[in-house]
Amino acid sequence: MRCWNCQSEVGAADVCPSCGKVQPVAPGTTLFDVLGLPRGVDVDKAELERRYRERSLRLHPDRAGKDDPRERRLSLERTALLNEAYKTLRDPEPRAFYLLKLHGLDLLKEEARAVTVPPSVLEEVLELREQLDGARKAGDDEQVSMLSDRVRVQSAAALSTARSALRRLEGNPSDAAARDAAAQALARLRYHHRFLEAAEASDEDEG
Amino acid sequence: MAGGLLQIHDPLKPRGHAVGIDLGTTNSLVAAVLQGTPRAFPVDEGGSLLLPSVVHYAADGSVTVGARARELAVTEPTSTIASVKRFMGKGPEDAETKALGAYRFAKGSSVVRFEVKGGPPVTSIEVSAEILRTLKRRAEAALTGKVEQAVITVPAYFDDAQRQATRDAGRLAGLEVLRLLNEPTAAALAYGLDKGSQGRFAVYDLGGGTFDISILELVEGVFQVKSTGGDSALGGDDFDREIATRFLEAHGVSHPDAAAVTELLAAARRAKETLTQLETTELSALGKTFGVRRAEMEAWIAPLLQRTGVACRRALKDAGITREELDGVILVGGSTRVPAVRRFVSQLFGKEPLGDIDPDQVVALGAAVQADLLTNRERQDEVLLLDVIPLSLGLETMGGVAEKLIPRNSAIPTAAAQGFTTFQDGQNALDVHVVQGERELVNDNRSLARFRLSGIPPMPAGMARVEVRFEVNADGILSVSAKELSTGVSQAITVKPTHGLTDEEIERMLLDSIEHAEEDVHVRLLREQQVEADRILHDARKQLAAFSDLLPDDERREVEAAIIRVAELRDSATDSQALADAIKALDDVSRPFVERIMNRAVGTLLEGRRVDEV
Repeated sequence: MRCWNCQSEVGAADVCPSCGKVQPVAPGTTLFDVLGLPRGVDVDKAELERRYRERSLRLHPDRAGKDDPRERRLSLERTALLNEAYKTLRDPEPRAFYLLKLHGLDLLKEEARAVTVPPSVLEEVLELREQLDGARKAGDDEQVSMLSDRVRVQSAAALSTARSALRRLEGNPSDAAARDAAAQALARLRYHHRFLEAAEASDEDEG
Repeated sequence: MAGGLLQIHDPLKPRGHAVGIDLGTTNSLVAAVLQGTPRAFPVDEGGSLLLPSVVHYAADGSVTVGARARELAVTEPTSTIASVKRFMGKGPEDAETKALGAYRFAKGSSVVRFEVKGGPPVTSIEVSAEILRTLKRRAEAALTGKVEQAVITVPAYFDDAQRQATRDAGRLAGLEVLRLLNEPTAAALAYGLDKGSQGRFAVYDLGGGTFDISILELVEGVFQVKSTGGDSALGGDDFDREIATRFLEAHGVSHPDAAAVTELLAAARRAKETLTQLETTELSALGKTFGVRRAEMEAWIAPLLQRTGVACRRALKDAGITREELDGVILVGGSTRVPAVRRFVSQLFGKEPLGDIDPDQVVALGAAVQADLLTNRERQDEVLLLDVIPLSLGLETMGGVAEKLIPRNSAIPTAAAQGFTTFQDGQNALDVHVVQGERELVNDNRSLARFRLSGIPPMPAGMARVEVRFEVNADGILSVSAKELSTGVSQAITVKPTHGLTDEEIERMLLDSIEHAEEDVHVRLLREQQVEADRILHDARKQLAAFSDLLPDDERREVEAAIIRVAELRDSATDSQALADAIKALDDVSRPFVERIMNRAVGTLLEGRRVDEV
């Protein structure tokens, strides 16, 4: 890659080392690359925060490309991507979904339908939703928070399962069993999430 | 779309001062950084730093802004617009719009238009622009220089439509809006830079009409907003309304007219302010009196404070921190002067709030700091502000469900894309409905815009792949583009809010205001020259009659001709310059004559007589 402004070699740098102009994002750049972090299930949170700040100072539209429309555009795109990387990798859960996406399965898109969740899991989720609705109608706050706690424990377990499967998958990208296990666990996690969102919504409605 | 995001700066163009403006519901302020220190400027009568956000439209078309306008509200409630901020980005059929004030709204428009005296109905954007224009002029007077750029603050909780409306008001007032800055962020900036500190802060901002809570973290020169929340329809004005309601109940008044409501609310506001200092007060309005104890008022407003507490707990949770991890709580907004509010905040966060910067000024001062950081290259390296989007942005999907594309509290600028497909064979267009809010159903959220992606080539159902891309810039303003991926048909849409103005409308208003500004200046100059002409004609005629003996015939003819010329132009001139020239000519030809009169007057004085006896 050569700098669009001064033509010197820039490699994968976000800012040209010779003229300081913001560079376009190279194809195949991962969100880990965007933050300059090693790809993996585990991320050093303090390091992530530090790198996010350091890159923001370099790329943010308030700092870069004030006099050059093209650089301004690139600065906006780069900062948007940096913010996406920060949001995605900061917390273990979106990070796990993103890693699975890097392995070709995006559960946040239609591809999610390709994952079959065992009927027993679905039944349990439906059952819990019914109990939640009942507790809400009865105004039984204690029951709502008890159900939420139960789902929180289950979702923590699902996340932990997904993370160990993803570690195996990162070690061996052709490990189909690990990929399936990660997908199963994360699909379960999505159901838990919807449950918790619903429980929370009822919380807030009551003020 | 790119055109809307790119601002091409001409570095050679000399620029005026960059100011920070707090465009408040109740009061507005303007400030700038001078010699490294932010300072607010006097903007109203008596050197007040607060300009009441009240605009009066008179029958002769003149516009008054500030304390004087607020006084006129009592006698002319419908032509005096107060709290216009509450109408920004709102439609005339919004429930909240109807509940506010005694205004008359013009029909047949998607934007709120107030029917006022002296001209066609005015939009909330135009009313806000009047306030901004006044602030701009006063700042120019204080700085003795042009003001062309501004950072304008908005409640963090303002949605896209409200932000766009604010930005448009800035443009209309002739300002380049450098940035729309969230009010709590501005306040934290004022504190953060003052103390040069690191740490986590909560900013509790209770203004006249809005409530905001933000959690921020300052580390190594980066000021990062962790979360925001609030209520764009809750503020100190609601305290006044509580008091006023109790007054009406106590006196059994059920249908007060517009003037009565205005008078009563003003009295309620004074009572609230008195109760910040005293334990009891009595308000009198509508020829009746009503005693209020502080404890009573505190009980009435308690439910309102509870509502702020819910938002605060949610903001802490969104930021992922506990109240113990906060290093400080900052109070912003005049309503935080109410002792019950301070008490509530210190209990809620478990620590005494900071208050060393005047809560009325702190937002404007912070905006001035940001304006300086954005324009002063020497200060660029000091602090970078990373703000977030206050409300989730999404699209309507099947069954009226809102699908979130960008969740609330995402750092801005940000972007996201979502794929769609056609559901009928040969379908050549796709309707896209953009919404903002946290609720599951589209109807419970705010509708931002609807548009249609057309020109999709005929294909079997499910084959077309349409990607809708959202982009939010550093002001928190959204633009949307859509693209059919298999054919590359693309469409860039500048999202115009459902209750906003089109670019054409803004342009027209801008042109109108410039034309009127020129017209206005012209009329004023002519009027000044006419007054001058009257004065000089009166003097000259008097002198001709009294001192004819001092004037030779040839000079007399010249002076008389000049008098006739001024008298004619006094009534016929449309150009102030022609009249000014004639006045000067008369002045010139009569100068020797006037000098002789002065000499005689001096001589007469020496004889012991007073000039005015001559």
